[in-house]
Amino acid sequence: MLLQALTGSGQDVVRDTTKKSDIYGLRVGIDLSRPLLTLLNEDYQGLEIVGDYRISEHLYLAAELGNESRRVEEVLDNADGINRITLYDIESAGSYLKLGVDYNTYTNWYGMNNSILIGARYAFSTFKNTLDNYRYFDSNRYWSPNEFVAGSELVGEYTGLNASWLELLAGVKAELFANFYLGGSIRLNVLITNKDSGAFNNIWIPGFNRKNDNSGIGWGFNYTLSYLLPIYRKARKKPSDPPQ
Amino acid sequence: MQRTTSRIQAVLGIGLLFCLFLSGVMGCEKDDICVDGDTPLLVIKFYDIQAPETSKAVSSLRVIGLGQTGPVDTFADQSDLDSIALPLRPEQEETTFILILDSDEEEGVETGNADTLRFSYNTQGAFISRACGFVANYDDLNSRLEPDTLNWIQNVEVINSTVQTQDTTHVSIFH
Repeated sequence: MLLQALTGSGQDVVRDTTKKSDIYGLRVGIDLSRPLLTLLNEDYQGLEIVGDYRISEHLYLAAELGNESRRVEEVLDNADGINRITLYDIESAGSYLKLGVDYNTYTNWYGMNNSILIGARYAFSTFKNTLDNYRYFDSNRYWSPNEFVAGSELVGEYTGLNASWLELLAGVKAELFANFYLGGSIRLNVLITNKDSGAFNNIWIPGFNRKNDNSGIGWGFNYTLSYLLPIYRKARKKPSDPPQ
Repeated sequence: MQRTTSRIQAVLGIGLLFCLFLSGVMGCEKDDICVDGDTPLLVIKFYDIQAPETSKAVSSLRVIGLGQTGPVDTFADQSDLDSIALPLRPEQEETTFILILDSDEEEGVETGNADTLRFSYNTQGAFISRACGFVANYDDLNSRLEPDTLNWIQNVEVINSTVQTQDTTHVSIFH
């Protein structure tokens, strides 16, 4: 399907290459991976809207706005004849906003508008955690030979949690056909602040993704389809231009 | 033509990257093994009632949890020990043990001196790590010795009413 769109596009698009100017505008789109994962994974729901605005030949202001929820069920299985046991079941749900810049390292031919990006974001997420059930990890099997004992005093909803982090990203955006772009990015996340419930740690943060026990480093990605709303054209500065 | 080709390459490249990292997400999740913590046992030390600073082993000690048929599995049954660790029941507000001095059996009947000791507490879940989840901690620990005609236990003192680790002694028993 993609290839059809691609081969079709080569003929339709008429570009004015004589003026040697670039299109500037606002590009908005959605992340395709999150709705796909929502369909594939019953423990996950997510949606992300992306946008960028070109401010110079190589620089873009960029943002992502999203909402995600994920249920993390930690299971202990096959440990020395102990049956499959759910250690805990925590659902994390909330919204996030990421603001920053993208820098296009790729110099296009005139008339083309593809990107090989590096970028940075400051991201903020507000969310809640719901502890649905948990068991006390206890390697002594005297009182309860076959399972861990279920706890109850911590079960409940913990609201008002938040986190902030920095993202460093590498990505690409390719023009599929006129003004439509397919893009993707990989992100390295470095946690700055992390407010948990006090009862347990944040093990998954909307927008940040999985949070490991002993490090504030995480990673994420997106895979976007976006549309460029052209606003104006601007001639490129050429370093080799003779002074006038 | 060249434009189209490079565009296809770019799109395929993105797709490949995406698949790679999606498989990374799926593959890297269930690798955790719990090594960070455990629900602590209750640590008891035995002292001489005549010389309260001196530890004194209990000869042929057997401890059975009330309601259980077998002795606790945290130490060798009917051994001489001046320190033991007992498992509490996190889902209950108290756990009762029968501590037997000079434990021996004659035709299936216990001949040692059995004292009943009851521990009451509040259970508080504590999050340890992603792999371990929660363990039980205990606070407000109290003990009560059931009086009988011949108690071998003379006195029980709760030294540490919070049970979070097994590094400290929680209860001293004088005999």
